[in-house]
Amino acid sequence: MKTPKQAKKIRTELRTDDFLLEIGTEELPAAYLPELIRQLREEGGTAFRDNHLTCAQVESFGTPRRLVLVVRGLAAMQHKPAEKIRGPSQQMAYDAEGQPTKALLGFLRSRSGTLAQTQLEPSDKGSYVYLLIPPRDVPTPAVLPQVVSEIVLSLRSPKTMRWDASGGRFARPIRWLLALYESRPIRCTVGRLASGAATWVDGPLHPRAVPIPSTARYFAVLKTHRIMLDQEERRLWIERAVAHAAQQAGGSLAPEMLSHGLLDEVTFLVERPTVLVGAFDPNHLALPREVLLASMAKYQRVFAVESAQTLLPTFAAVLDGSPKRPAHVRRVIERILNARLADSSAFLKEDRGHLPLERMASGLSGVTFHERLGSMADKTLRLRGLCEPLADAWRLTDEERSQLRRACALAKADLVSTMVKEFPTLQGVIGKYYARDSGELSPVAEAIEEHYLPIGTRLPKTLIGGALSILDKYDTLTGYFGLGIEPTGDQDPFGLRRAAQGIMEVAWTIHRPLPLDQLLRVRGSLAPFLNAPPKTIADVGLRIARYLFERLSTFAWPPPAPAADCIAAVLASPCDDLIDIMDRVVSLQRLSGQDGLLKAAKVVERTHNILKGAPLRQPQVDPSRLREPLERRLWDLYAAHQEEIGRLAQDRSYSEATTRFGDVFFEPIHEFFEHVLVNVPEESLQQNRLALMKAINALYTEQIADLSKLTILHRGETA
Amino acid sequence: MDFQRLIRTLDTFWEQQGCLIVQPYDVEMGAGTFHPATFFGALGPQPWRAAYVQPSRRPADGRYGENPLRMQRYYQYQVILKPTPDDVQSRYLESLRACTLKLDDHDVRFVQDDWESPTLGAWGLGWEVWLDTLEVTQFTYFQQVGGLDLEHISCEITYGLERIAMFIQETEDVYRLAWGPKARYGDLHLAAEREGSTYNFHHADIAFHQQLFASHEREAKRLLDEQLLMPAYEHLLKCSHTFNLLDARGAVSQSDRPRLILRIRALAKRCAELYLERCHENTKAG
Repeated sequence: MKTPKQAKKIRTELRTDDFLLEIGTEELPAAYLPELIRQLREEGGTAFRDNHLTCAQVESFGTPRRLVLVVRGLAAMQHKPAEKIRGPSQQMAYDAEGQPTKALLGFLRSRSGTLAQTQLEPSDKGSYVYLLIPPRDVPTPAVLPQVVSEIVLSLRSPKTMRWDASGGRFARPIRWLLALYESRPIRCTVGRLASGAATWVDGPLHPRAVPIPSTARYFAVLKTHRIMLDQEERRLWIERAVAHAAQQAGGSLAPEMLSHGLLDEVTFLVERPTVLVGAFDPNHLALPREVLLASMAKYQRVFAVESAQTLLPTFAAVLDGSPKRPAHVRRVIERILNARLADSSAFLKEDRGHLPLERMASGLSGVTFHERLGSMADKTLRLRGLCEPLADAWRLTDEERSQLRRACALAKADLVSTMVKEFPTLQGVIGKYYARDSGELSPVAEAIEEHYLPIGTRLPKTLIGGALSILDKYDTLTGYFGLGIEPTGDQDPFGLRRAAQGIMEVAWTIHRPLPLDQLLRVRGSLAPFLNAPPKTIADVGLRIARYLFERLSTFAWPPPAPAADCIAAVLASPCDDLIDIMDRVVSLQRLSGQDGLLKAAKVVERTHNILKGAPLRQPQVDPSRLREPLERRLWDLYAAHQEEIGRLAQDRSYSEATTRFGDVFFEPIHEFFEHVLVNVPEESLQQNRLALMKAINALYTEQIADLSKLTILHRGETA
Repeated sequence: MDFQRLIRTLDTFWEQQGCLIVQPYDVEMGAGTFHPATFFGALGPQPWRAAYVQPSRRPADGRYGENPLRMQRYYQYQVILKPTPDDVQSRYLESLRACTLKLDDHDVRFVQDDWESPTLGAWGLGWEVWLDTLEVTQFTYFQQVGGLDLEHISCEITYGLERIAMFIQETEDVYRLAWGPKARYGDLHLAAEREGSTYNFHHADIAFHQQLFASHEREAKRLLDEQLLMPAYEHLLKCSHTFNLLDARGAVSQSDRPRLILRIRALAKRCAELYLERCHENTKAG
């Protein structure tokens, strides 16, 4: 009798099946869906693992109206390990007669335990009752309701809402739940909602429940109703379909449709995609490309088509489902697009009446930058002042310099145009077009657009654009810091953190000096604070520099990102140029783990430590007072290599300078400390030796970094 | 179906859904949400269903009667349902069918729109409802009104009546819409639209309106101190409209904007709090 029973048990344990969970919702925001799908897979996997349910594979899918979790090969049994749960103390658990109290019985009831499963265990705070639950197998279907609820409640979105009295929160209302295992519906509830055994198809227009008896059947039903569940498949289908439509229209998709996210967005706006091609009035092609693209992609989510980099008066729209009168739908979309473009054309015409751009700029005194920092005209004047020290530092040619001045004067002019009022995100872009229309040079026009970058991953490509971008942000930082407004924690209402980050990214990409102190000395940039005491002004500069330095640790460095101690070491050396600082950080990071760096660090550390221990009063080494051969040797090495190392540092060959410094001084310093005592009673001798230590230390730390801050030194000591 | 029948049809439809059919409010406002039936209706614990037409003023949207889709004054049809029925989306689509719209002919979409009225301290999540990429309705689950979390979630449905009528009548120009058997929309509104645009953009006296804003704000505060809720709320509405007009006139700078909005919002919050206080007193008394 025993053998067959065991065999049966093994079979049960090994049996697996597929689990399906569908969360049916009203239309979820397209921007949330990729993240929700990812969370569903990860939180789903975690929930099954945490509940001791093994499975072969976890997949997740999503459309605007459903989030779906598919778990393949889910074990039929939950293997729950033994548990030991601490209950009330002995005092609380038993009364004077040794009978179990209400507290103990309540505890047992809440954990489904019995008295027989308890035992008393002593601890330093007295004895406690422990409930010992042996390992046990629970059929998976009995565990699933709890798991489903855990999974649904674990999903997060940037913005969530309530929709009924249950108080549950989600990105949009959840309207149905379908959970299936072993081809049987799992009964579960989330908030007020109970799961059913059906899915819903045919969109919001003809919502229809279709009973689902099995996972396989689920996929078949969706297919029958043309619902493309798999987001990857849907994206590919749409990409091919709109590309094909563009081709039929004699062109190809405008590349911005893919790079600026329209394809991604549309993938999550529909679950039954169909494509339709339409046209707009070719007269509107006179509008700037960005305006056409914004009207099409941003407002109507239709795809623009181009040929030889010029837009065609054609678009491809992705619909959800198949309307019965597609020609009619096409006409409406065309009409709306034409009306929108006609509006823009009217704005363009009106703005052109106010060109040249220089004339438009005269209206900037009416546009407030900040009530205490003046108008955009004031900002323009400050930019004009700031541009000279930067032009000096970058060694701009006369031609470049005059272009930068011109770009400063016109940078903000488009803010008074009606077009920018209509399309605020096109500030700068509109300025570029109007600059061209006004006969400005191309670098000036480009700079006007680029000075708002970085946006996303886009960075200025031109020298003048990069300079203007940095100046604009630097002026903003100076102004707000001068008013005592600085970003704190998550709060950054004026975009100051982004401005600081932008300055660093742009400067690093262009890779020209960024002399912080010189920029701040421009009286123009401090105009709003001229009444402030000088100390306050100096303080603004220090605070900005410190703020930028703090951002070094979160900067998007080329990998591998430098360690915090590496940044700290560089910042401990005097340097006013942010880019020089960044170069040093990268060089040191590149040497990390190498012998050269460790040797140099040892030299810096040993000289640093000895200088820490005794006050130095003698500014320079007096060679006539060097007594021991070992100290003479150090001095000779110093004299021989001082220039060479200085030159390497000047050329920013920081890696070479570091290796050289280590190679030259490591052995001799070691030997010196072995045999020569620095802190001798004879003061003139001691001071001379300290001065020698200082000279060697400063040769590196004053020009590159204070390597005594590196943690490798301390790791070396403990090892 | 002409414009006047469209309104009647929606009235009948929502009446059958248990809505009280109330009338437009007689103070200029930017949207039906400002109507007390919505602003106060969404607050408090009592169930509430109402529907109404509200003429809406958007001074900056005037196009001198030349744009078929944008106007400085137009009509919203507003429905507020508290609590929200589970099948509210279907009921809304049903209302469009009742207006003889053949939805199967169109591409109907619910596109994310996180609605917010900074002046009312109100926000909610929902959608723009698109018909062939044209927004015809704003659909919102209110979460906060007057800066206060709502005890019960209302659903607000705001129809753009002209746009829906244009679909029903298959007309491309709003001013050609049949209002009734013998009059077009343009007969009633085109001249006013042209004059309104000209006034809003060029002739509205800036100093006068700036003064108006301050006066209405002062009056609203004084009335709130006197616990006169509705009169105070009406002056808030006037503040809000004056702000919109100043904005269209180009007299609100970037830095003024948030401060002026905050001033109106502060009034909205006090109105909402006073209203709730009364609600709770009534509940206790009842």
